[in-house]
Amino acid sequence: MDVAVSVNGTVYERDVEPRKLLIHFLRDDLDLTGSHIGCDTGNCGACSVIFDGKLVKSCMLLAVQANGAQIETVEGLSEGDELNALQRAFREHHALQCGYCTPGMLMSATALLRDNPSPSDDEIKTALQGNICRCTGYWNIFEAVKAVAR
Amino acid sequence: MTTVAPERTEVQKGWIGESVARKEDKRLTQGEGVFVDDVKRHGMGYLHFVRSPYAHAHISSIDVSAAEAVEGVYGTLTGEEVAALTDPFFQIAGAPGGAIRDFSLALGKVRYVGEPVVAVVAETRELARDASELVEVEYEPLSVVVDARKALDGEAPVLHDDAGANLMWEGVYEWGDLDAAFAEADRVVTIDELHFHRFNSTPLECDGALVEYNRGVEQWTIHTNNQFPGFAAIMMGPAMRVGIDKLRFVTQDIGGGFGNKITSHPQLVVCCLLARKLNRPIQWTEWRTDFHLSMSHGNERWFHETEVAVKNDGTLLGFRTKALDDAGAWLRYEPLGGVIWAQVAPGMYKWRNIRVEFTQVATNKAPVSPNRGYSRMQQLWFTERVIDIVARELQLDPVEVRKRNYIRVEDMPYETPNGCVYDSGDYARMLDTALELIGWDRMDERRAEAASRGMRLGVGIGSTLDSGTNNFAQSRLINPELQFSGNNEVATVKLDIFGEIVVTLGTTPQGQGHETTAAQVVADILNCSPDDVHVRAGHDSYWNSHAGFSGTYASQFAVTGLSAVKGATDMLAAEIKKLAGAVFGGVPADALELADGGVRIKDNPEAFLPFMACGAIINANNAGLPEDLDVTLNCRYVYRPPFQVPDIERKFGNLTLTYAVQIHVAVIEIDPDTGYYEIVDYAAVDDCGKRINPQIVEGQVMGATAQAIGAAMHEIFEYDEDGNLLTPNFYDYHVPHALDMPPLHTGAIESPSPFTPLGTKGMGEGGGAGIHAICAAVQDGTGKIVTDSHNPYHRVWELLQ
Amino acid sequence: MLLREVDYAKPASVAEALALLAADDGARALAGGQTLINVMKARAASPDALVDLNGLEELKGVDLGADGTLSIGPMTTYAELVASAEARARPILGEVCSTIADVQVRNRGTIGGNLCSNDPTNHLPPLMAAVGAEMTITGADGSRTVPASDFFLGVYMTAVGPGELLTRIHVPAGRHDGFAAVTLGVDGTCIVNAAATLDGKLRIALGCVDAVPVLVEADSVDDVRDAVRAAHLDPPSDVHASSEYRAHLAGVLAERAARQAVG
Repeated sequence: MDVAVSVNGTVYERDVEPRKLLIHFLRDDLDLTGSHIGCDTGNCGACSVIFDGKLVKSCMLLAVQANGAQIETVEGLSEGDELNALQRAFREHHALQCGYCTPGMLMSATALLRDNPSPSDDEIKTALQGNICRCTGYWNIFEAVKAVAR
Repeated sequence: MTTVAPERTEVQKGWIGESVARKEDKRLTQGEGVFVDDVKRHGMGYLHFVRSPYAHAHISSIDVSAAEAVEGVYGTLTGEEVAALTDPFFQIAGAPGGAIRDFSLALGKVRYVGEPVVAVVAETRELARDASELVEVEYEPLSVVVDARKALDGEAPVLHDDAGANLMWEGVYEWGDLDAAFAEADRVVTIDELHFHRFNSTPLECDGALVEYNRGVEQWTIHTNNQFPGFAAIMMGPAMRVGIDKLRFVTQDIGGGFGNKITSHPQLVVCCLLARKLNRPIQWTEWRTDFHLSMSHGNERWFHETEVAVKNDGTLLGFRTKALDDAGAWLRYEPLGGVIWAQVAPGMYKWRNIRVEFTQVATNKAPVSPNRGYSRMQQLWFTERVIDIVARELQLDPVEVRKRNYIRVEDMPYETPNGCVYDSGDYARMLDTALELIGWDRMDERRAEAASRGMRLGVGIGSTLDSGTNNFAQSRLINPELQFSGNNEVATVKLDIFGEIVVTLGTTPQGQGHETTAAQVVADILNCSPDDVHVRAGHDSYWNSHAGFSGTYASQFAVTGLSAVKGATDMLAAEIKKLAGAVFGGVPADALELADGGVRIKDNPEAFLPFMACGAIINANNAGLPEDLDVTLNCRYVYRPPFQVPDIERKFGNLTLTYAVQIHVAVIEIDPDTGYYEIVDYAAVDDCGKRINPQIVEGQVMGATAQAIGAAMHEIFEYDEDGNLLTPNFYDYHVPHALDMPPLHTGAIESPSPFTPLGTKGMGEGGGAGIHAICAAVQDGTGKIVTDSHNPYHRVWELLQ
Repeated sequence: MLLREVDYAKPASVAEALALLAADDGARALAGGQTLINVMKARAASPDALVDLNGLEELKGVDLGADGTLSIGPMTTYAELVASAEARARPILGEVCSTIADVQVRNRGTIGGNLCSNDPTNHLPPLMAAVGAEMTITGADGSRTVPASDFFLGVYMTAVGPGELLTRIHVPAGRHDGFAAVTLGVDGTCIVNAAATLDGKLRIALGCVDAVPVLVEADSVDDVRDAVRAAHLDPPSDVHASSEYRAHLAGVLAERAARQAVG
């Protein structure tokens, strides 16, 4: 099936099988390998992207469902090559170790701060509940998001 | 040649000890890391494994013809082909376990659910998956053994006929004088059965590889996330009947390892064979379910018939126990777990009389191999349970019993009954710090407040050691024929033609910040900024920056890796001075200093040679240098820790170089009506000697805490009686999420190691302190003795009945 | 992780969707996908065709009637229900939906999907059973309305038949509700859950203890545990809980839900 998908402002037209998951479309067809796969049951959130303004797990959507949609991935966060405020805060607060969950975490935090620029501690945790991390224990991630919150 | 005279600057402060922000983070936060599944090659074939649905069965036939007939399927590989092309993997064990024949795909028989049987390669991932369903495998199921306690019974099916029985390894460890200890005891506390459960660290990225074969030079390039290429090479080379230099390992970013990415070598062999057979690059991604079914479960261990000799005042004199270890279906790194625990045989305590009868058996479950805290965590959990249970039996305060029995700071370095040397540490002070952080004095108030809401408070202490930098000679306690000993790691540091400082490591970091901490060490020696130091990401055999034990595992980078970096940089610094001394017309080294991106005469700083000039001279402008000037500015250093081969007979000797310490306190609230409980407060105090980058250290302390919490409360690889894994994915295998995290108070002290060049100790594993603390908290909150490391809600509820 | 081949269509109307479903008995409706895509990844079920309902505005929306009843489109996501001002007329709906999984799941998962998948560990089947909801099911021949007590037929099975769609959920007026659960970690999968509504008597629906929600009634909070005992539950055992433990939790949680309902 033909699809036209906008990712980080660029429209990609491709022919895809209906069964192809959106995460595989991003990683394999579009070479946007920043979003990751960490599980096969939709539990880990490493594949999280923003889809028409809403945070979703891209492993739980088909690429064909993204026809006409606007998707934002981690590759679109930087301002040119410069890290944005959230990325800088992750670095300053050591909110990443292996970095595998980090793109998903950044998208979840980005979605949160757009809807709620001054989240409480509980709201931050709730926003990140769908993203598993095995390295950090999450505490530094909470601090990084808090640092960017107003 | 010109020199540039810079303005005199202030003396640089040290970078070691600073929480420098990480170099790795720019690419990782931009999604520009290169993890193995990100690596692509034109024409690559995607590999899918057909895996056994049975825990134990004969393979009567395999027919791949239907799969191979599908358009877009490139080919397959079966166990019979593997057996023709390779030799069985080297076994660490001697008889009986050493007799088993381990090939990369099942041959004749399957021995656990999820065991790879056939590999299918196709043009797309989906096609490989579809085609795998067309592979026809006929099985004749056999009976199954999943309980290690039954593995040696007459009725239990034998997994490996070559071994004769399910016994893989056994050994008796005894030190001190047990008879005297038990004679001196006021009482003997007996514990019938303790059980440490099976789980692992489930790194978010699973195993994987992209393997290319160069037909012309008969060499493989293995892009992978295997975290111990030194071990993989030693296993794969002989099996594939090729020299190790034919296997080039390349890693860059790895999404967590925790020991669980050490034993992917069977799958890597399959990829190599297929890359050669099909003449195309082979891409393998391990799915989450595959990982849970088949990769690197942690040692499940029982401790039976434990007897503890104690005095009435709580002094521990000694113990005997029978440890039964469940290795699963294959020995991939085992039975090393049968000796590694001995690094911490007495735990943190002074008792001198110890006897452990250790038995390791095979069962129809996934093969065991290292998991964070590998084998020491189980022993430390055992000693902590003993302390807690003894305290309860004697009705003594667990804090007092610990302090009475802890090895004291004045005893350091302390030689344990089996000749291991604990380098440094102040356990009592750390315990006090932890108790203060948790508000120990106010605990009665908290208990009363919880009770007023119908909840039961439980408070528990977990103390533990993280032994780091193995002496691989301990493998000889498992098998005296083995020729391994000591340890090593390599680093190179050079000045490039334009004076750039370039470092390569032999390690395979999975988030531990090696690029950053290595740069800090180099910057201190060369008196520059870490920003001036370029550390190449990852590991590559082509850099010739590795040795037999290279990799990142067993809590050692701060010792082995950074000591190699220090050694190489010291060499480079000496060479820079030698070169400058010659250039300046014969100035001795001690009259020179490194500063401001170059080298200068201390008493005449205008005589300055920038690194760029040094690099240029050696690389491109070397006419006129003294003939005997032995300078390359490209320095390779192999760090070798000071180890001896232990006394194999007595099982006595130093098995590990450093001992980081962790003491945790957990406060839980139990809902007695349901058994549901939450951690409402938590304190973690850590000592890993000199900390190169405190923020990086603390990050791993926190991560280890979170993993221990997950393991204690939820995570388990549990099997049904037919050998089916009941927790094959993250839906049922619950790991902590953001909302599960308790408040955390951390503290740290630094007791430098006297045995390491930088005073550092390895620390990445933590010793499962969180598991020990939560078990103790559950015991305190329920008032019942806790004998299992896994305490989900249903177990807590059962304890309360 | 990788799906089998499947056809895909995104109809523009309910009528078109029904026609697609009726034409191919291997076709399945795709709502939020937070369950179905997982099932397809595991290849536990592989429909021949997916009929994507995400373009059907007719199936969205939360309407509040003058009498306080709510009419909810099945394609309303959990997040939309939580945010809906109308849905606040029956606060338990948003309260429970806000505890389902995580933000990503709540942005796509739908109330209709939750009800029609009828996984025994789902939150909404017992909740709808307790509040006394009614479901409108539409097929080629027209629509019929089925009370919750007749809607849930078995594990993964509801009264929605082949060629039919759940098109509306009707929740009566009321505010005396409660919900209690023990979950695998915070906001995790339910081990046992219980929903309660005070409607004259206490009507309690127990989840995770049988193929479908088990309804018990009690006159007062003090009678609830006995009522649960009298239901002679025989819940399944699994890695998270024994049958005995689930049965015990059912009694405890039913009483807690009832206490919340009574207020």
